[in-house]
Amino acid sequence: MATFFATYDFLLVSMVLAAVLALTLYLPLMAGQLSVASPGFYALGGYIAAILSTKVFHPGPGLYPVSLVLLEMAVAAVVSGILGLAVGVPALRLRGIFLALATIAFVQILGVVALNLEVTGGAIGIFGIPQPFASQLQYMWLAIPLLLLSMLFVARLERTRTGRALVALREDELAAAAMGVNPTYHKVLAFTASAVLAGAVGAVSAHFINTWNSRQGTFDTSVNLMAFVLVGGSRTFIGPVVGGLVLTALPEALRGVADVGGLPPWLAQFLRDGRLIIFGVLIAVGTVFFPHGLITPGLLRRLGGRGRASAA
Amino acid sequence: MSVADLLVIDRVTCRFGGVLAVNEVSFGVSRGELFGLIGPNGAGKTTLFNLITGLTAPSGGRLRYQGDDITGLPPYRVAERGIARTFQNVRLFGELSALDNVMIARHVRTRSGLVGGVLGLGRARQEERETRERAAALLALVGLADRPGEAARNFPYGDQRRLEIARALALEPELLLLDEPAAGMNTGEKRALSDLIRTVRARLGLTILLIEHHVPLVMDLCDRIAVLNFGELIALGAPAAVQRDPAVIEAYLGDEA
Repeated sequence: MATFFATYDFLLVSMVLAAVLALTLYLPLMAGQLSVASPGFYALGGYIAAILSTKVFHPGPGLYPVSLVLLEMAVAAVVSGILGLAVGVPALRLRGIFLALATIAFVQILGVVALNLEVTGGAIGIFGIPQPFASQLQYMWLAIPLLLLSMLFVARLERTRTGRALVALREDELAAAAMGVNPTYHKVLAFTASAVLAGAVGAVSAHFINTWNSRQGTFDTSVNLMAFVLVGGSRTFIGPVVGGLVLTALPEALRGVADVGGLPPWLAQFLRDGRLIIFGVLIAVGTVFFPHGLITPGLLRRLGGRGRASAA
Repeated sequence: MSVADLLVIDRVTCRFGGVLAVNEVSFGVSRGELFGLIGPNGAGKTTLFNLITGLTAPSGGRLRYQGDDITGLPPYRVAERGIARTFQNVRLFGELSALDNVMIARHVRTRSGLVGGVLGLGRARQEERETRERAAALLALVGLADRPGEAARNFPYGDQRRLEIARALALEPELLLLDEPAAGMNTGEKRALSDLIRTVRARLGLTILLIEHHVPLVMDLCDRIAVLNFGELIALGAPAAVQRDPAVIEAYLGDEA
């Protein structure tokens, strides 16, 4: 067990952070808005943490204080939230594919800006970001609570007035408006909440990855997050969480399979390096056969029902 | 049309390209009235509903509700003022449960924000409970109390129409717009629907504007009737008088009749 955690420490933390990021895509999707802007806010949050920890705060030698990481997360969340509000108000006038395209452009613009600014370290980025923990596995102390809190937040949200308004917009925007739901307000709210969360994840990730540059939070991340949500499930928050955990582990698992031996070399090679192809196929096949993803509210109800039945 | 009318439609026009869907239509609906809107297909009845509820912006004319100008307000603002509607081709939130459908429409009558709701603070918790109770009571009122957890799209068509009425009532409207509520119902269901409309009107003191093709139902229920044809108001008055109006007979049966 100890060897397992020692070997896969990086992967395990990555899985948890990916699950939180998947939730940032799920939030606007609750209101029916396909936005892939969260990698942009994730990148922004990472830069904020990287800059604050390497250039602004000057803690002494030894481990970097966790309290400062928490402070960076708060700053990243607030700044991302403000930018989210500023971008969301005009962007959410767009619908469907046009919103998706606008958010892709937003991610690209942030990447180009980061590449050309001095404070972000240009093409080299910022490295030597101080470590608050002695081992990578200990990042779980930040990642797990972050995941649990965001899951709790979304789970609660689905049972509130605001959450119902979001879902009503997803189901039928016109009918929701006729029932008194302000579409723009609620879409921007979901978008901003997503930005806040993505910023906070970015701040943790910058420390975790140790270096931050314009290759973090790019369109590739957008595609990954879309795969997490579309394959995992887009109609309950459990879907993106499971999608993020499983699909982040999948390439490693495939590599394991490839190393078993006895496979033709081309297949082993494909299992090792074909991650993006496999994700692409999963998105395509998944959306055709499971339009709402693998984990649906109906499936959860059936599982819950069976659990109760066997308990009785 | 008088100043005391709850809803005043004043020379309202709606043009889609070259088509005049609604042409300078004027009438008033007084408080507590059950007002019928009839006319052949394409007469502009649903367009008029869309104009009143802000889904379509009028090309001309004014709409006044409770004395205030509501012309050009977005749909959610119109709903906030207490105008609720159902849709001709049922627009429920299909994936959601019957109870959730009704709870959503409590939106304008509740206040909880994002933070209070998620944290389940005292007032938000209280409000959530009340919302649930009121929604359940409305489901009972329309006779759907037995399946609150069922997804709306799984209900038979007639039940979906009643669920839409429950959802509209959850808004606590003063003015209720019903767009062909009896469409697709059999005779027994139609009779039950008439009773339901009478009941909610009496119990909740509603003003109701009703689009309906089923003429006996309209004649039986309504205090006054307006007849539209090709976007124009061709008759207005008590059911018996409208029924005998030559212009109305011509519109419905063609001028050769």
